[in-house]
Amino acid sequence: MNTVIILLITFPLVFLLSLLFEGIDRKVHARMQKRIGPPIIQPFYDFVKLFNKERIIPMTASSRIFTTVPIIAAAASILGASIPVASLIAGSNVGGDLIIILYLLTISPIMVMIGGSSSGNPYGAVGFSRKMTMLIAYEVPMLICILSVSVNYTSLAYYDIVLTQVKIGSLLALARPSMAAAAAAFVLCMPAYTETVPFDMSEAKTEIVHGSLVEYGGPYLGLVKLAKSASNFALSFLAVSLFFYTPALLERYFSPELGGAMLLCLVTTLIFMVFTMTVPRTIFARLKIGQAFKFYWLVPLTLSIISVALSILGL
Amino acid sequence: MKIAARSRIKSPWLFHLNTGSCAGCDIEIVATLTPRYDVERLGCILVGSPRHADVLLVTGPVTRQMLPRFIRVYEQVPEPKVVVAVGVCAISGSPFVGSQMIEGPPDKIVPVDVYVAGCPPRPEAIVNGIVTALKKKFG
Repeated sequence: MNTVIILLITFPLVFLLSLLFEGIDRKVHARMQKRIGPPIIQPFYDFVKLFNKERIIPMTASSRIFTTVPIIAAAASILGASIPVASLIAGSNVGGDLIIILYLLTISPIMVMIGGSSSGNPYGAVGFSRKMTMLIAYEVPMLICILSVSVNYTSLAYYDIVLTQVKIGSLLALARPSMAAAAAAFVLCMPAYTETVPFDMSEAKTEIVHGSLVEYGGPYLGLVKLAKSASNFALSFLAVSLFFYTPALLERYFSPELGGAMLLCLVTTLIFMVFTMTVPRTIFARLKIGQAFKFYWLVPLTLSIISVALSILGL
Repeated sequence: MKIAARSRIKSPWLFHLNTGSCAGCDIEIVATLTPRYDVERLGCILVGSPRHADVLLVTGPVTRQMLPRFIRVYEQVPEPKVVVAVGVCAISGSPFVGSQMIEGPPDKIVPVDVYVAGCPPRPEAIVNGIVTALKKKFG
């Protein structure tokens, strides 16, 4: 019962944090280009504005799928972000393990893909096929990373792995060579998962007019954008708490309070997000879909397989 | 309602429609989006689909071929929307006045909120036009 209440209060928290993080991301992106940039609360303005716009459903769309899909996407990614946050707040495993979190986070791109293809727009179909290709490219190394972690610590429970780091007093990424490889592969998968610029072929604005999002407008677009920023936040938070749980380093000197550990984890998440999403999106240009696919099956997949091999050897 | 009006002023997403202009005004619109003028500080983003847009930037006199497309794009922009006519061609049809190929200027076809004069107008003028249109409509 207690965990349910914690999960419920985490929903609005995740909503606010993910939009705030998106605002900071846009601000840092602007400052790196020597611009002033939008105010940090810009995503809130966008969200409120989109919710106060007209709802248009295109004639060619199958309207029921088109309208329900954004709601499922937003709900799934907020829930996926809430489970890790709530687990850290509650100090125990809340409602599911790593597999469930990863599935919830995968639902949102799949739902957006289905929405795009149900809109009846050819650009939506192109977005669908590109997103599908990217999903195959990054999902395999990512799942193998999680597999490697679970082989190493014989647990799939999220909070157990966080506790392991506290117990050994070090970050998981620095603990063993196998975990370092897993963390590297996970970090490399993040820009593709969040569809930031080097890997944003499925939503390329100048090329295929936002791909799957092309026919969405008003509240539906708002929900899709919310789903996207919530899953960005969720993924950064997951990566930080799994591989770079910084409060574990301080455990040796003093035991951080619950609020302090949470705050430190969020700050690390923010720094991590800037380095894995904002920096690549500022300094790189968009790749072709074939190049991205080749990269993912060469580098992160190899790293993750090395990681599994090392974990089986016990390194 | 106050929050909604404020959000609309703070996040105008632009869609740019060329209805037969010489691309001079279009290049100035692109210049407006560069880091030097930085319209993102006002919350503006250039979007690729009219369904995402709030502000329709129209350049050029409306040619006969463009007329049905122009009406269609206008109707695809969800309400509430703002139309800004950029450049002299979009105000009066300028050098094309009296041509049999011209169905415009745009305000004969759709309601236009703000006219930005110039051939082409400077980026500052375009930014001013967008801000004025938002104030007029939602302020």
